[in-house]
Amino acid sequence: MSKLLKIALGIFTSIGGFLEVGAIATTAQAGAAFGFSLIWAVVLGTICVIFLVEMSGRLAAVSHHTIKDALRERFGPRIYMVTLVSDVLINFLVLAAEIGGMSLALQLVTGISFRWWAIPTGFLTWLLLWKGSFGLIENGVSLLGMVAIAFVVAAWKLDPPLPEVLAGVIPRLPPHQPVHYWFTAVSILGAAISPYLFYFYSAGAIEDHWDEDHIGVNKAVATVGMTFGGVLATAVLVVAALVLHPRGIEPQRYEQIALLLAEPLGRAGFYLFAGTLLVSCLGAALELGLATAYCFANGLGWNWGENVRPRDAARFTLSYTVMIALASILMVAGIDPLQLTLFSMALTSLTLPIVTFPFLVLMNDRDYVGEYGNHWISNAAVIAISLLASVLALAAIPLQLMGG
Amino acid sequence: MQLGRQVLDQQLVDRNDVNMGKVDGLVLELREGGPPRVAAILTGGHLLARRLHPRLETWAKRLMQSWGPDQVEPLRIPWEKVKKIGVDVKVDVAAADGMPWEHWVRDHILCHIPGA
Repeated sequence: MSKLLKIALGIFTSIGGFLEVGAIATTAQAGAAFGFSLIWAVVLGTICVIFLVEMSGRLAAVSHHTIKDALRERFGPRIYMVTLVSDVLINFLVLAAEIGGMSLALQLVTGISFRWWAIPTGFLTWLLLWKGSFGLIENGVSLLGMVAIAFVVAAWKLDPPLPEVLAGVIPRLPPHQPVHYWFTAVSILGAAISPYLFYFYSAGAIEDHWDEDHIGVNKAVATVGMTFGGVLATAVLVVAALVLHPRGIEPQRYEQIALLLAEPLGRAGFYLFAGTLLVSCLGAALELGLATAYCFANGLGWNWGENVRPRDAARFTLSYTVMIALASILMVAGIDPLQLTLFSMALTSLTLPIVTFPFLVLMNDRDYVGEYGNHWISNAAVIAISLLASVLALAAIPLQLMGG
Repeated sequence: MQLGRQVLDQQLVDRNDVNMGKVDGLVLELREGGPPRVAAILTGGHLLARRLHPRLETWAKRLMQSWGPDQVEPLRIPWEKVKKIGVDVKVDVAAADGMPWEHWVRDHILCHIPGA
């Protein structure tokens, strides 16, 4: 029973991590501008993230190392620092986007500008990390995140044409606006394959004292949880394709994305959208804050852990405190949250190989994973998808910046 | 034993299971008529900065002169104090004496926040 419960909780956790402001914004853009034709990017991203999350859990269960800990040990300080800089930069931008997402959700409901909400929402995130335990964060927020199922209900009610949806699974060349098309594809990939998820997951497995008995549970959680996250993201895309695309609305602001659920679900849909955005962004912000602190602490040898008192893990606590404060300030400064979200997701894609390639070396090193090394299929899939995402990003980001 | 792979950059854990840093360096003793011997483990200070780039070390030293804890030299743990090398490197010392930055952050920043 406790094993089943563990699987269930793990699945909720992964959903909490998967559907956040990045996934909502990028898939809504995709559906509005290109109908069903970018579903393939969600599928590719989901496949890649299933493999990577499974690997993070397996590394922790077999070697009792977190990813960053093992990276520092195996490759020395230089490679570790390169990955650290890249991760902290990306996490910072994405964290600001999540705080922006929470603030916008409150703006939608109250009418008060998101800039006023950035400090309160940032403070709430910090307070939960400061006071809460790992279990509270892992399970509580993820359970609340189930409100995101509203998107699946909405997609169902809109009765999408199934053959066209399925045709979207096959990658194709852009029907129009090629730069915007590839940029959106890159952002979707970046939103799905968020490196902070792996750091959060691997450190969580260490906090929960996983061992080799957890390999099966880990596989189930990664596969079912991430697949379900992918289904939710696809649902957002489908709803956008059916609600926004026919009207020619290409959302420039979050207010327009909020219309998504209002058509199929009425006034309740409007509040459900705000609720989903608020809760899922809060969940992601908590994971981002912790993941960043893990990245520092695991690689530099600091005392760490969400279940120890703040004073017993001083530098660990300080690092998430500073990150959240700076990210809130960036939002107060009035940066457009939607543009920041799309840009930081694309940037995530660009830096994927920096994160995934050293990680793959670890996952094939018998000193770390023993007989539980990677199958060649998972190596090939992760290399292919992260290279694809990175190369596309290298081309699409400058073109998008010049054009937009 | 492979020092580079099994000891250097490993997690250091003190006798109370507190993480006290990484093995940032090793001190080798040259002996006449025999192979060099590991004399001590080094951790902390500006050692990591030196390994990254000499200029970083200069900056780190300058920063620590005006800001942060007084103790800037790396902590030296005699090899005899190493108890076990496995997932971590376990040493028979008390971390309380060897983590100036951790304690500086605790006593100068965190103590001002309620509930620490």
